[in-house]
Parts: sequence; C-alpha cells; structure tokens
Amino acid sequence: MDHNLSQAPRSSWLQGFLSLLVPGLGQFIAGARSRAATLFAGVLTLLGLSVWTIAQKARFPDFGLSLEIYIKLVFESALLLVFLLALRRLFTRYVIRDPALEAFSLYGVGILFFLAILFVGDNLLATATSADQLALVHTGTALYAAASLAALWLWQVGDAVRIGSLPPGEKLPSMGTAVLLICLLIFSLGYNITDINMPKAIREYRDISILLPRILWPWRAAFEYDQQVLEVTQPIQAPCPEGETGPPSNQPSEAQPWISATPTCGQLSARPITGGLDLGTELTITGGNFTPGQEVHILWKNPIGNPFTPRGMGPTDIIIDENGGFTTKLNIPDAVVPPSTAVGAQIHTLAVRQESEEVFSGRISEEMKLALAAMLETIMIGLMATFFGIIFAFPLAFLAAKNLMAPIISPLDRIVGSIAGLAAGFWVGILLMQQVANALGGLEQAPIQIFVVGLVLLGLFGYAGIRLGGRLFSTVLGALGPTVSFVLSTALLGAMVAVPGYYLGLGFSRGIRSIVLDADVAALNEIQYAYLGAGLAIILAFVYAVLRRKSRGLSIGMIIYTITRTTLNILRSIEPLIYVIIASIWIGLGPFAGTLALALHTVVSLAKLYSEAIESIDTGPLEAVNATGATRLQTIVYAVVPQILPPFISFTIYRWDINVRMSTIIGIGGGGGIGFLLIQWVRLYQWDLVGISVWLIAITVAALDYTSSAIRERIV
Amino acid sequence: MLKVEHLTMVYPDGTVALRDVSFEVKDGEFLGVIGLSGSGKSTLLRCINRLLEPSEGRILWKGRDITHIEDSELRLVRREIGMVFQQFNLVKRSSVNTNVLSGRLGYTPPSWSLINRFSRKDHDRAAQALQRVGIPDKAHNRADELSGGQQQRVGIARALMQEPKMILADEPVASLDPVLAHSILGYLEKLNKEDGITVMCSLHFLDLVQRYCERVIGLREGRVVFEGSKKDIQQLSDERFKQIYGEEAQRLGAQ
Repeated sequence: MDHNLSQAPRSSWLQGFLSLLVPGLGQFIAGARSRAATLFAGVLTLLGLSVWTIAQKARFPDFGLSLEIYIKLVFESALLLVFLLALRRLFTRYVIRDPALEAFSLYGVGILFFLAILFVGDNLLATATSADQLALVHTGTALYAAASLAALWLWQVGDAVRIGSLPPGEKLPSMGTAVLLICLLIFSLGYNITDINMPKAIREYRDISILLPRILWPWRAAFEYDQQVLEVTQPIQAPCPEGETGPPSNQPSEAQPWISATPTCGQLSARPITGGLDLGTELTITGGNFTPGQEVHILWKNPIGNPFTPRGMGPTDIIIDENGGFTTKLNIPDAVVPPSTAVGAQIHTLAVRQESEEVFSGRISEEMKLALAAMLETIMIGLMATFFGIIFAFPLAFLAAKNLMAPIISPLDRIVGSIAGLAAGFWVGILLMQQVANALGGLEQAPIQIFVVGLVLLGLFGYAGIRLGGRLFSTVLGALGPTVSFVLSTALLGAMVAVPGYYLGLGFSRGIRSIVLDADVAALNEIQYAYLGAGLAIILAFVYAVLRRKSRGLSIGMIIYTITRTTLNILRSIEPLIYVIIASIWIGLGPFAGTLALALHTVVSLAKLYSEAIESIDTGPLEAVNATGATRLQTIVYAVVPQILPPFISFTIYRWDINVRMSTIIGIGGGGGIGFLLIQWVRLYQWDLVGISVWLIAITVAALDYTSSAIRERIV
Repeated sequence: MLKVEHLTMVYPDGTVALRDVSFEVKDGEFLGVIGLSGSGKSTLLRCINRLLEPSEGRILWKGRDITHIEDSELRLVRREIGMVFQQFNLVKRSSVNTNVLSGRLGYTPPSWSLINRFSRKDHDRAAQALQRVGIPDKAHNRADELSGGQQQRVGIARALMQEPKMILADEPVASLDPVLAHSILGYLEKLNKEDGITVMCSLHFLDLVQRYCERVIGLREGRVVFEGSKKDIQQLSDERFKQIYGEEAQRLGAQ
C-alpha cells in the first residue's frame, strides 16, 4: 500500500470527475496506484454483491413495500441518528469532560443505533401487518446497503479530489472512513442475506417456552412409575343384523366396579366421502362401584382388539359421582374393521378405564438405560478414534515435517532404481497375494488373513525392491560413467512418469466429456489427451532432472513432504460429520462408522499438529546426535522424540477433548452413540428424552474436560 | 590425521563462508582456530564431519577422501570424530546418562537403540566418562538441571564415549565464565595429552589460545590468513593481529 504520491498530480477536479465515472481512476491518474487498484476492485465487487443480493430477494412477493414506508424508514432512522448524536454531544459536553471518552461515545452511539433498529425497528415505523416484518428487514437492509455503497462512491470521489490538491511526496489521507463504510455495507448485506429478524424471535418466544422447561428438567422420563389400571368392559355388537339383540348387558355388582350398556346391538357411525358424519346408535352407559370423585376414561376396542378413544360421540372423560357410579350417553363410533376379518358377528368392546395415580417406583426407565448405554458408546467412540488417530498420525507427522524431510536427497540413478524396484516388488507381492488368497478361499472366507498377508507381502517385497533396485541401478549406472548414467536415469524417469501421465490425461478427457457430453466439442479425442498427459509428464521430469543436475540429487524428501502436507490439509478441511455420512453408507449405521470417520479426521488433524511440533524443535541436539555417527532413525529417537513429547501430549489431550464433543453429535449423521438417539427422539417429539440426552452430553463433556485439564497439569 | 585441501563452502543463498581453505592437522595436535564471528570457524568445523556439505575441495581423513562418501560409510567416519558445541546441544529433557550414552550411537545397531538398549559395557563406559569429567553424581539428573559448566562437561563426556581419534570443539567456552573456561579447556588438554586425541578448537580469546593451543590457524572472511605455532601467537605483532581481526580490532589484555 503506498503512502506517498509518486508523481506530480493533475487537476483535482478532473480526478474527482474521473473517479465519479470509474472508482479509483482519479487516484490512478494521481499516482496512487495501489490505492486505485484496491478501490476499483473493492467497490466493483461490493457493487456486484449488493446488486446480486437485492436481486435475489426481489424475486419474492413479500419484497417491496409502498413508497411511503421507504420514506418513513429513511426519515425515522435519520431522526433517530440525529437524536442519538445530539444526546452524545450533550453527554460529552456537560456530563463527561474527557476528550478520550469522545471516541468511545461515538462507538456507543453506533451500538445504540443498531440495537434500536434491531429490536424496535418495526414498531418505530409502525408497519401495518406482521407480514411486513420480513419485507421490512429485506428492504431496510437493502436501503442501508445502497446508502453505504453510494456513500463509499462519493467518498472515493472526494478522496480523488483531495489527492489532486496534495503536493507530491505527501502522505495520502487515511482510508478510515472508507473502511467504516465498507463494514457498514457488508453488515447490511449480511443482515439481509441471513434474514435476521429479532422482533420475530421475541414475538414467537412462546414456541420455545413450552419446550424449554421439559428439556431443562426432563428427569421424570428417567424413571418408571407404577400405576394401577382398572378396566371394566361390556361387549357391543355392531353392525346389528335383523332380529338380533346382541350380547347380554352386564348386571350391576356389589363386589367390584361394573358397567352396563343399553342397547348392546346397534349401528356404527359412518363418515361418508362427501363429508359430514352419520351418528350410530346411541348407547346409554351406566356404571357403579368406582372410587367417587375419580376420573374414568371411555375406550372403544374394535373386534380385533385395537383400542382408541372415540371422538365426537359423547363425553369420554367422566367424573364418578359421590355414590361411586355414573351415567352417560355415547354413540357407537365409526370403528373400521379390516374387510378380511369382517365375517360373522362383529363384537366390539366398550371399556371404561380407571387409572390410579402414578407412583414413583425408583426403577430406571428403559429409555434412560438406553441413553446411558448410548452415552458409554459415545465415550468409547471418542476414545477409540483418538487411540487410532495417535497411532497413525505419529509416523505420518514425520513425513510432514519440513526440517526432517528437506535434507533427504538421493541421487537420480538410485531414485529411479528404487521406484523400479518398488514396482517390481509390488508386482511380485500381488502375484503371491493372489495365490494365497485363492488358497485360503477368497475374500469372503478369510478377509483378515488375506489382508494381513497381503500387507506383509507388499511391505516386504516393496521394501526389498526399493533397497535392491536402488543399489543395483546405482552400481550398474555408476560403472557406466556420469554422463551415460544421467542420460539413462533421466530417460527411465521419463518413462516411469509417462505411465501415470497417460492415465491422468485419459481421466482428464473423460472427466471433461462427462460434463460436456459432446464428443465433438473436445478438439482432441481421448487417446490424444492421454498422450498429451504422458508427454507433459516426461517433459516435466526432464526439466526437473536437468535443473537438479548440479546438486547431489533429487530432493525426494521435499516431494514426499509436499504431497503429505497437501493431502493432510485437504482432508482436514472436511468435517468429521461428513465423513460419518460417507462411512455409514460404506459400513452401515452404527458406532463403527462413527469411530472410523472420527479416527480418519483425528489422524489428519493430529498429524498436522504433531508435524508443527516437530518443525519447532531445537536443531542443536539434532546436530550433536548426528555428529556422533547415529543413523537417521537413531537421531530421531534420541534427539527429536524427547523434545516433542510435551507438545505431543498437549496436542493429544486437546484432540481428545474435541473428539469427545464430536462423538456426541456424530450419531446425528448415522454414527451411533447418544447423537443417534437424540435425533430420533427429536423427530418423535419426545422432548423429555431429548432433555435427558442433552443433560447426559453436558455432564459427560464437562467431566472429561475437567479430567483432561487435570491430566494436562500433571504431565506437561 | 586430517588434511583439508582447497575447501570452499557456499551457502544456498550465495554467502561464501569458506574460500579455498587448506591446512593440515597432525596426530595428537591441539589446533586452535581463531577469527571474527562470521569468519567461517563454525562452518569449517562442520564441514570436516560433513554436517555441512562443502561446495568444492577435499577432506582427507587418515589419508582417505571423505568428501563424497555414502551415508553408511560416513557413519563409520563420524563416530571417530567427536564434537563439542558452544550451546552444549544436550537433549534437555533427557537424563545426563542418556545424553552421554547417545555418544555411543555410532557403534550401536539401530534396532537396539529403538528400545533404548545399550550394552553393559556401554553403561560402564558412560559411568567412566562422567567420572573423568568430574560429575559422576549427576548421572540421573535431567540435562537442563545442570549449570552451564556441568552441561559442557556432559558434552565432553558424550564425545568421549565415541572413543574418538579427534574432537572438534566449536567455541566450547564462549558461553562460560573465565574460570569455567579454563576448567573445560583443561579437560580437553588432559584428553589431548593423556589419550592422544587430536583436538581442533575454535576460540575467541588469545590468552586461552596461548595457554592451550600448540598451533593456530586464523580465518578471516573464509580465508586462512594466519598459520603459526604457540610462540608465533605470543609474538603476534599488531599488524598481523589486525590482519586476522580487521582494522577496528583492539588488543585486550597483556601482550
């Protein structure tokens, strides 16, 4: 950013005019090049952003109010601002006489203004209906955005004029106001895009006020309650065929509660398709010997035993009178029966149920047990993921540490030999692995054995290939003399990179084709792209080899470092929740998917952290141990590892904290644990159980947090 | 023992640290290297055991050219050359004993050291080495619990573990007070006279050079500008002094 003018300015009014047309043009002519570039790029970007945002919202019908509301908005907010500024002036002049507080008071004015608009804005402008609220937010913020943009434009015109009248070499005026205007603009756009509507949030608090107490104190659902249920029944026949009288009415009893209905045979209610309701036969129900003053419920059970509460047929909740009896009327409801069972006499059951008060039994409910088990599962997911993360991140971190990787340089012929050896070793290993797999009966029969054997074979033969191949090429080509060796190894390197280059080219062209879908559009066909890829790879390899000719060899260490670091960075930016969704498709829902996903993210994240710890070590001891003749591995064990132990432990505990939190919500994506239950209970509107889950999560996370900080104090 | 021929070292950013340096170190000698900071003393010492790679020239160790040898052979050469550093370069979090034992890594098979296993003899050697430098009781303390002088003695013990033919000392006493400096250099002198270990030591102060070094080479801006015996140092004229240390240098202390 230049602060001084570099050349003599021209007429200030010309510059002002130029800046009016194109932002930054005047400043450019005046010599303030980088300021001109910033203003040009900035103003145009913000203009584009604003126009696009407003255009998006303008498509909705609720956008746009009558002109008077606009005017009202501008007028009243200006009034408010003037009022606040006057208040501030009075305040600072007569109450607080401290010049340092003047700046603060401006900040206070800004805050008050925003708060006023935020909470009281719509009342301030007294809009007609609440449907206008959202429209107000949209238009209001759009107007503010437009105003800021206009103010910014005018500012940079003024800036161009001001620069025009400065003598050369002067410091340019500050861009503070411009920055403020840009912030205002971005704030307005953000407000617009995120649909912030504080009055709505306040007005609709009732939606949450019913829910919140149940979530905050959900413990009733954690226990089982004993309840005695008394049910007395009377069979009813419906429909009633010609001549039948139905089952006998119950007789009153002295010993126990009873109900009786008259008649016991009648017609069902019907709800025709055209609408309305045809009521069925009216029954008179009497009952006795119940507990006086208690409430009883009427239930209807259809012939196959499905119970339901009949609605609209008469009262279903009845208070027993002081004699222990009751009388009520009820129409036979529209109890639908599946046609396949509608043979013979259709006997429904009229039931009267008396539930005693629930008694606390002290036993844990089934759902609570489920939640506790899920919580344990969650803790274990976090632990296992961290454990596997540590194991795999540790070696990976060394590959991603620049100070360890940079010195690894190998001469070209040895590298070429090693790669060739690796390929040969893998080929042999794969052949043998297939033999073993066939002998063991294939992947279905013995997956673990095949996997382990395959790993061992590939590892052994690959390693042997690298070592032998490298040594072989080195000796053979070394004997042929340096020039021949260079030419041959470069040629071989070219041949080797040509293969992946070929496939990359092929893949690239197929990728383009799959988007464009027109084989003729791509000027080159598939094979040509493939050869192009191979050719590019060969050229790159040649260039690289020639450039590194003078040095001691290819810095294979830096290549490995770059690949590792880039991969880690890319994988790290994807949140575990997304990995869980993918994992649950591969492995299936459940904690294994969650553990796998979390472990993967832990590995890449920890590897990055560990490698940063390795890069920050003191190189002195490294030098000293190296000077004693130690091999690279010995140097790492004796000089690097002791130094990185404290940050390693610190990072591991940090990651464990994160994993505990992550594992609680990983279930939401299908990863098992408490999150799995939580999301189901939310969907079933079981707010008590949701509350229990939330409480369990909070308690567990807090407890593990405390533990980890205690461990950290002890060890680090 | 050591012969350096036309050694030139240019850093990747273009700084020329050593220019055409040639000299010889005889068996059992105590050679001092003097010069301003930045004159190339540290670079020279590090080139000898190839902690830094020279750009041109040759290093001959016991008559053999070691400038371009492979890592596996370099290991065998490095374990014969011990090194002592200005900043001691101990592994702070490890015990003194582990630090001393790490001097034996050049002789230990790599797989053993992974599980921190040294032979019985190595442990005895370590105890002996600590005894020789006078701090046998500090064997199990953490390295950073020791004072500066004690830490440097551990560094010497570590070099001793290699049973070296030569010790390179890169300003070993620059961070220590005068009394300690004499003490540490005294140990080096003892090793030089009693065990016949060649010592190549870079020093700042001429009184130390006079007291301990048989022969001296002086570097300035990467070039050898002085080569002489102890007597030559005693009789160093002002002119020659300025040749080594530059026009603005002033002599301190007795001449």
